[in-house]
Amino acid sequence: MFLTRSEYDRGVNTFSPEGRLFQVEYAIEAIKLGSTTVGIRTPEGVVLGVEKRVQSPLLESNSIEKIMEIDSHLGCAMSGLTADARTMIDHARVTSQNHAFTYDEPIKVESVTQAVCDLALRFGESVHDEEAMMSRPFGVALLIAGIDELGPQLYHTDPSGTFVRYDAKAIGSGSEAAQSELQDKWHKQMTLKEAQILTLRVLKQVMEEKLDQHNVQLAQVTQAKGFEILDETKLKEVIEGM
Amino acid sequence: MPDMVSIAQPIQQSFNPYTENGGTILAIAGADFSVIAGDTRQSEGYNIQTRYAPKVFRLTDKAVLAVNGFAADGNMFVKKVRQRLEWYRHAHAKDMPIRAIARLIQTMLYARRFFPYYVYNILGGIEEDGTGAVYSFDPVGSYEREACRAAGAAQSLVQPFLDNQIYFKNQTPAPGTSFPAHLPLQTVLSLVIDSFTSATERHIEVGDGLEIYVVVAKGSTSAQGLQNLRGVQELTATDDGERVFVVRRELKKD
Amino acid sequence: MDHFPTNWGRPRNDAFDAYGTYPIAQRPKNDAFSAGVQHTQQPIVTGTSVLAIKYKDGIMMAADNLASYGSLARFKDIQRLHAVGDNTVIGAGGDMSDFQYIQTILDELMIDEFTSGDHQTLGPAEIHEYLSQIMYARRSKMNPLWNSLLVGGFKDGQRFLAYVDLLGTTYSASTLATGYGSYIAQPLLRKAVEGYEDVLTEEEALKIIENSMRVLYYRDARSLNKYQVATITEKGVTISESRQLETSWSFAEGIRGYGAQTQ
Repeated sequence: MFLTRSEYDRGVNTFSPEGRLFQVEYAIEAIKLGSTTVGIRTPEGVVLGVEKRVQSPLLESNSIEKIMEIDSHLGCAMSGLTADARTMIDHARVTSQNHAFTYDEPIKVESVTQAVCDLALRFGESVHDEEAMMSRPFGVALLIAGIDELGPQLYHTDPSGTFVRYDAKAIGSGSEAAQSELQDKWHKQMTLKEAQILTLRVLKQVMEEKLDQHNVQLAQVTQAKGFEILDETKLKEVIEGM
Repeated sequence: MPDMVSIAQPIQQSFNPYTENGGTILAIAGADFSVIAGDTRQSEGYNIQTRYAPKVFRLTDKAVLAVNGFAADGNMFVKKVRQRLEWYRHAHAKDMPIRAIARLIQTMLYARRFFPYYVYNILGGIEEDGTGAVYSFDPVGSYEREACRAAGAAQSLVQPFLDNQIYFKNQTPAPGTSFPAHLPLQTVLSLVIDSFTSATERHIEVGDGLEIYVVVAKGSTSAQGLQNLRGVQELTATDDGERVFVVRRELKKD
Repeated sequence: MDHFPTNWGRPRNDAFDAYGTYPIAQRPKNDAFSAGVQHTQQPIVTGTSVLAIKYKDGIMMAADNLASYGSLARFKDIQRLHAVGDNTVIGAGGDMSDFQYIQTILDELMIDEFTSGDHQTLGPAEIHEYLSQIMYARRSKMNPLWNSLLVGGFKDGQRFLAYVDLLGTTYSASTLATGYGSYIAQPLLRKAVEGYEDVLTEEEALKIIENSMRVLYYRDARSLNKYQVATITEKGVTISESRQLETSWSFAEGIRGYGAQTQ
């Protein structure tokens, strides 16, 4: 298998004869090494949850940042090469602020997702004698959560620049098991509270360590309060209520 | 002996990229409708260039823009606003709300702060909450939402009239009564027509034709009775609910 | 990073980098030395009025053959009407070198359009729009093409008549006149044409135009009694040979009080 690939898996802008871009596919593989990340949409809002792998007892777990704010009505959780996500979230933030500045309204969730995905395919691009901005595809997938005039929404983006809307989605190393669990348990009239608990249950199932307020992070976007990351006290409460 | 040499200084006569093309526009917001009007005369100095050059433009089914001042800038500005509205529709899969159009117009005008579009804009239409709206702008983008505004050559004639008739300035309500916050469409249309016939009488740059755009909110009863108005034409393009009409009337041509 | 997707895939332009987000690698185009570029500040060799009216079969346009150098009648055989394609005529007042430049632009445009091979030709409306964009763009660069132009045409059963000038100002009406003609001839044209656009015959239209040109020759010191008339109809464009105006100055004999008379 690798023999046939070797001819075409180096250039980021060369299709293989079967019509594949291997570097993009490898980038998608990279996400499967990342920590598990879950997103659930409910009529009340969207919940995001991530596993924080605490590799050492000396590591300050609250310095691991895998859920970030894009705007007051938009949040984002990531899995994969999280450093790559900084570029994407930076772009999402600027796009969102720019939209608010120009149009005096919050940007739609789909629009900001589209903006991020426009960026994802810009690897290997160069203009005239200028250096290409990115040498390889992003190695990260995002779950973008937000609320706009169409209600609460959850989007998934991957390194190919594809984006799809989900009711509930899991990405990262434990995503296969997590996704089937979500498929079983998700229902239309879920409350936000139920979604928080389901998120944690799904994470708990796929995590090696015992789940506590230090090795997971929970965030939500609601109509009333917008995006917020749950602090450890609140998180502890939810965990105790599981 | 006086210095005779330095009296005559060379004068650099430079090209003036602006002119004024006269005319007047006005807009009035009702509770669930908005009326935007302008005359159709275009002039330069004492010359009437044409008796029919529209100054009021339908942007969407819920927004109408009136542009007054330097006609070439005005036409270009409307063209650019329309282009931005189309890009927005493609990017965000919806018509731009009037509040967003208002902010967009500000950023477009201010982008030319140091070589301004010499135009006064009045934007009228229906807000997302279904209320009638009027936004007025200065040439470099200062803007506010108001109940009514007149601009252009006869602003100084029309605005005081509107202040009196719309805001009831210098009037006191009869004891135990109060002035209405919004007037019905029939009353507003009468005020608009009176404003323009009066401005035509007293201002040489106003006249020839009158175009009154009426934007009516979703499910509003104001649209009733509009159809059998003289010179009315419906311009609604979508079935989103808002409706746009134009009423065309003659004004004196002298 | 550049967050504006419209800039992506384009070479960056430091001259347009308004906020100085890039280090300046080369001298921007609008620095102190750009004053060395001369822009048109006034017209030099000029043409006077152009007249045009709508009539039953199309558009009739006229302009005299004079190009003046200030008050000097410098060139007396200049053509100020120009056919663009088979359906359009443009007529120009103002700077004649700018007008001749406009002619070359439009002729090139028509050739470009022809070579695209789509069997579509630009009509008067498209030519007027294109011309308006050029005129407005040049005024916006503070380097105008110093002209007042009339665009007349007939295509697909439709008459077209419109104006554009050095400021990019545009308008349309059934009678148009540029320059001195807008003061002297326009009232005459309006009286004769407005309301009769669909009934005036070519002969009647010609009479109206000829009469207006005569009045202009009497009153406009920068005019000439030699002029051309263009018609644009369903059959296409015709621009006449130069024709002479019949004028009579005998009335001047009786005028007293202006010059150095003996009594």
